[in-house]
Amino acid sequence: MKVVTYTIKDELGIHARPAGMLVKEAAQFKSDIKIAGPKKEVDAKRIMGVMSMGVKKGETVKLTISGPDEAAAATALENFMKANL
Amino acid sequence: MFEKWKGLFRTEKVISIAAPVSGTVVPLAEVNDPTFAQGILGRGVAIQPAEGRVYAPADGTVDLMFETGHALSMTTDDGAEVLIHVGLDTVRLCGRHYRVLCQSGDRVACGQPLIEFEPEAIRAAGFDPVTPVLVCNTEAFTAIDTGRTGAVTAGEVLLTLHQQQ
Repeated sequence: MKVVTYTIKDELGIHARPAGMLVKEAAQFKSDIKIAGPKKEVDAKRIMGVMSMGVKKGETVKLTISGPDEAAAATALENFMKANL
Repeated sequence: MFEKWKGLFRTEKVISIAAPVSGTVVPLAEVNDPTFAQGILGRGVAIQPAEGRVYAPADGTVDLMFETGHALSMTTDDGAEVLIHVGLDTVRLCGRHYRVLCQSGDRVACGQPLIEFEPEAIRAAGFDPVTPVLVCNTEAFTAIDTGRTGAVTAGEVLLTLHQQQ
């Protein structure tokens, strides 16, 4: 299992577009990927779940990744968040 | 034996999603935003709004009403996860020209007003008020009919979803 934490720097938080892009990124991997915000934990491969976390700037999200490609997924998703969120 | 009968009588459930806003239907691929046009957020159509009011497209529960009023997601009682995004990139308006009429967690009935907005003011601010209406959990359905074109009035059938029972 891999855990990645990241504090959102985007002024607008995880709104619709970044939620869609994050899910697209996560969906490329076989591993089970959960994302947790201050309010709840959801499946990172489900758009509605990721959006409904309502994560804002300054809040920290935690990705919990487990499966055959967890290391690659952790690296890719960490890079994605740094570049986009 | 019963398993065989079950197979014979397997029925298809047809679910309608109503137009949440009156206006003109625009194919998603023609929306000037790759996130929507490429279907990354889901399948559906967009509506170029003729008036500034968004109504619930089905009975269901609001999952997230963005505080900025520019978008909302809901789960219908039939299990469709619907995203209504009023305008492109309009998160940047930070709530200007939008008025929120419901809250996250609310039960809503089809046709209930959810958001008021000002299409002309949004245009004047440099944004396109075209409103994608998407089904996010496309994998839950065997087919999604997005063939509606032309003028549409809020409450008319916009999307038809098919599901194996």
